[in-house]
Amino acid sequence: MTLKVLAVDDSKTIRKIVSKAFSAYDCEVVEAENGIEGLSMISNVKPDLIILDITMPVMNGVEMLGKLKGQPDMKDIPVIMLTAESGKDNVMQIVKMGVRDYMVKPFKGEHLIERVMKIVALQPKEAPAPLPSPYFFVVDDIQMLSLPGKSDRATLMEIEVDFNKSLKIMSTAGLNKMILDASHLKELNMLVIKLILSVVESCQKYRIHLRFVGSSALGTELKGFQETSSFSINDSVGEAKKTF
Amino acid sequence: MTDISKLDLKGFCANSTRSVFHTMLSMAVSAAEADPSMELSGSKVVGCVSFTGDVIGNICVHVSKEFGRVMAAAMMGMEVDEIEDDEINDVIGEVSNMVGGDMKSKLCDAGFPCVLSIPNVTSGRDFKIESKGWMRHEKIAFQHQEELSMVEVFIKFIA
Repeated sequence: MTLKVLAVDDSKTIRKIVSKAFSAYDCEVVEAENGIEGLSMISNVKPDLIILDITMPVMNGVEMLGKLKGQPDMKDIPVIMLTAESGKDNVMQIVKMGVRDYMVKPFKGEHLIERVMKIVALQPKEAPAPLPSPYFFVVDDIQMLSLPGKSDRATLMEIEVDFNKSLKIMSTAGLNKMILDASHLKELNMLVIKLILSVVESCQKYRIHLRFVGSSALGTELKGFQETSSFSINDSVGEAKKTF
Repeated sequence: MTDISKLDLKGFCANSTRSVFHTMLSMAVSAAEADPSMELSGSKVVGCVSFTGDVIGNICVHVSKEFGRVMAAAMMGMEVDEIEDDEINDVIGEVSNMVGGDMKSKLCDAGFPCVLSIPNVTSGRDFKIESKGWMRHEKIAFQHQEELSMVEVFIKFIA
């Protein structure tokens, strides 16, 4: 069963680090920016765990914790506090309020997960089934898209459909790097360019880091499009990998 | 209670700043003595937190806008050119919160109870933070590769 985690922090950066830490596990992370928002989300989300910052505007973490512990239907939800303050008095105060654990910032995502695992069981996400396509495969943590030498309309349409499927697989697997290998391309026509622009647009939308492998002719061609004018072309997949 | 003039504010700041850069950004920074007149020129971002209680004070983290972008990318696991200005502000605010939180804890443990504010972030070009009437005012410079940043501490005993 998917574990629901509520991350309450006024910093988007910290919420992102927390979400990323849980991305390898069967978890759904929902976010709130302050204590008031956090409390209102609890009744809807019914989280299994709350990661709670202390210093926040509107309602801070200590106030939110106090209100949480006063609600019979919420008081047993385990809470891990995040605090930038490691002083004895601060730690004693939050421990007395019934938090299960606390982490002092700065922290690493993997250390947070270690603490979480002492409180709730985390199940690793099932590896998604790879696409049954000769053009898409994963090497290390990089999604490869290898364009065939000859690209007719039907093949390119098939690749575009598989690309959209691969975006979902990448999201599930927590992959955010892609290499588009066009080194086997024998002909650079408008259909290929259209596919490449579509890949670039989707990668920007889903914040996937994209690198190109191909000939200098491809590089020259891509310079002519606003969407791809800033991309560099790598001579080989190995070279492209090094740029991540 | 420790004498406030004997607190190693520079040491506290240097350790916590190095720890924040190492843990959150996987970056090594080296601390150096800063000239009292040191200022960052050009476009910059300054994150400040205040503490109030038996002591009052501010801690400000100054970085160039471009280094702020590099820091944001490192902390958020993104590419530098994907970073928006609000993400730079958020990261610098969070870094000042962590450095300030550590300082606040050290002050509390030394017998100066105080509370910490939420961070505020100012960005712009060619501005200067001036503050007067403090018992201690320290500046510590930090270097990562060619980039120079600065942490500034102002403190005054009240009780």
